[in-house]
Amino acid sequence: MTRNVIIFVEHKAGHTRKVTFELATEARALADQIGGRALAVALGNGASTVAQALGKYPLDEIHISEDPDVDRFLLDPTVDYLEAVARSAGPSIVLVGNTMMGRDVAGRIAARLQAGLTSDVTGIRVEGARVECIAPKLGGNTITTCAFKEAPYGVVTIRPNAFAAASLETGAQVVQIAKPAGKSYALTIEAEVEEASDEMGLEEAPVVIAGGRGLGGPEPFDTLLKPLAQALGGTVGASRAAADAGWVPYSLQIGQTGKVVSPQLYLCAGISGAIQHKVGMQTAGTIVAINKDGSVPIGEFADLLVVGDAFKILPELTQLVQESKAAHA
Amino acid sequence: MKIVVTVKLVPDTNAVKRIDPATKRLVRTGVETVINPFDEYAIEAALALKEKLGGDTTVTIFTMAAESGKEVVRKALAMGADDAVMLSDAGLEGSDVWASAYAMAQALKKIGFDLIICGALAEDGNTGGLPNALSEYLGVPALTNARHIEISDAKVKAQRETDSGYQVVTGALPMLMTVTMAVGEPRYASLKGIMGAKRKTTAVMALSELGLEKAVGTGGAKTEVVEIAARPARGKARVEEAADGPAGAKIIFDFLKERKLL
Ligand SMILES: Cc1cc2nc3c(=O)[nH]c(=O)nc-3n(C[C@H](O)[C@H](O)[C@H](O)COP(=O)(O)OP(=O)(O)OC[C@H]3O[C@@H](n4cnc5c(N)ncnc54)[C@H](O)[C@@H]3O)c2cc1C
Ligand SMILES: Nc1ncnc2c1ncn2[C@@H]1O[C@H](COP(=O)(O)O)[C@@H](O)[C@H]1O
Repeated sequence: MTRNVIIFVEHKAGHTRKVTFELATEARALADQIGGRALAVALGNGASTVAQALGKYPLDEIHISEDPDVDRFLLDPTVDYLEAVARSAGPSIVLVGNTMMGRDVAGRIAARLQAGLTSDVTGIRVEGARVECIAPKLGGNTITTCAFKEAPYGVVTIRPNAFAAASLETGAQVVQIAKPAGKSYALTIEAEVEEASDEMGLEEAPVVIAGGRGLGGPEPFDTLLKPLAQALGGTVGASRAAADAGWVPYSLQIGQTGKVVSPQLYLCAGISGAIQHKVGMQTAGTIVAINKDGSVPIGEFADLLVVGDAFKILPELTQLVQESKAAHA
Repeated sequence: MKIVVTVKLVPDTNAVKRIDPATKRLVRTGVETVINPFDEYAIEAALALKEKLGGDTTVTIFTMAAESGKEVVRKALAMGADDAVMLSDAGLEGSDVWASAYAMAQALKKIGFDLIICGALAEDGNTGGLPNALSEYLGVPALTNARHIEISDAKVKAQRETDSGYQVVTGALPMLMTVTMAVGEPRYASLKGIMGAKRKTTAVMALSELGLEKAVGTGGAKTEVVEIAARPARGKARVEEAADGPAGAKIIFDFLKERKLL
């Protein structure tokens, strides 16, 4: 069955999230394999800016609407627009980033389209007419391959950092989506409050610098971890002990009851590596730990464990990285 | 007000998990089963609302799981929920997100609710798709990742956590919610709670009671597992003692260069 590939674009007022470019790149590859077109759907304030940024990726069409209702009401208008594009495109695979927002969109649109959903996918394979999705499950301990049965639609959430983003200008056509008629919206967004200044979501950061109880308080997250994260182009994360202590918001917690991250580099300081933490980061590309104690559990699965004082090592490391970046700039 | 909390029974994180090569499903027997940790927060949120709202507010636990999970459900009752309903039927085995959400929606319609509270994510699959699918099938809105929940006169106001902060969201009952850890640490069951749980009812529902129009279980699923493999475990770390700060920094810096991360 020929199917198109539709990506749901995640952005904030026109600032496109990184995972979207990964989706766009994979959409092209997948569309070529299954013989369909690669489409994007960008909604709300800033959608036309997003269309420009996406113009550098190999898509066939970018469907947009700047309808203010998308930002005024929670999810309903978003799902209605996405459905409208999917219905007009016909049989499709819908790709969504596995982020807080993406999970909501994926669950809703899958039910709306009576489609199967595969989640947290790190690889896609086409076997004959079937699309197979590969995903780490059970805390990253198993790799599951799941196929969509014959059905017009399938929805996939893609783990950030699992697919490369490669730009390739093809001059995608921008299409305005007509407002779906006769819809009502149940939840109103009354206000939007920013707490973390970082632009990048923890789940999609290519580099995560995490801190735990060993850092002793909130300050080192700002004074030691953040400068290193900035120097390496990443963001800050934390163990549950640090979040429970109120040093950082829960949105930064990594692990079983926090976020699952898969960055190219995970560098942590003052984290022991409890199993509940491990399941949230063990699929990272490279894991580096700084700990006073050489016999901590993280030594069982990190790539490098440096035994020493994080307070002494981190500032020196930040300086080395900054100098090296400056020298290569 | 009737609050229903959906609870998934998952294998304990610490347990060694095994996949049955024939069915390609998780072997759930012989592995300690626990309440999905996120769902404990959902229970906590429901009990806190019950305390705050008082009156005729009740909390019902709902799970779709084998009847052998009854003991685990009792833990939720011991925390303070009023009763429980289990949707247990061999015909549900092999259900994917679509089939689970469809069957659960029909069961929840039958149970009745003003507010459904779900966990944000189940740790076995890291899917987080079910609550939104459920809201779609039930035709009620989903206020996801909620905290600081206020309800009065069937009007709801809550903070919805986002990656960078939160949104203030308002709506009306009936609705479905998922909650974050910020709703508060799940309470422990008191001795009185544990004793009391024995007298609370756990009803068991079968598929035949739901009058489903679509197939569920393996046959109804829209996806199928074709392969499951153990992920190779990461090896032990190279361990290096840092004599001082600069030495430690140099070790890491060189390692990042070696790995082409710089
Ligand atoms: C149901 C459940 C869910 C959970 N979910 C999560 C989760 O999602 N995420 C999570 O992280 N945890 C989770 N936990 C908690 C987990 O079990 C651990 O308690 C937690 O991860 C410990 O955090 P930590 O490593 O920061 O603290 P600790 O284990 O106390 O480790 C602190 C480390 O810092 C080191 N240290 C101290 N000073 C220094 C210094 N100056 N320099 C370098 N190193 C130093 C110490 O040697 C020690 O190893 C969960 C637990 C339960 C029961
Ligand atoms: N079998 C089930 N029974 C009851 N609730 C469930 C079940 N599966 C999922 N849920 C609910 O949906 C949430 C998200 O699950 P999932 O989509 O599997 O990650 C869980 O935290 C539960 O609240």
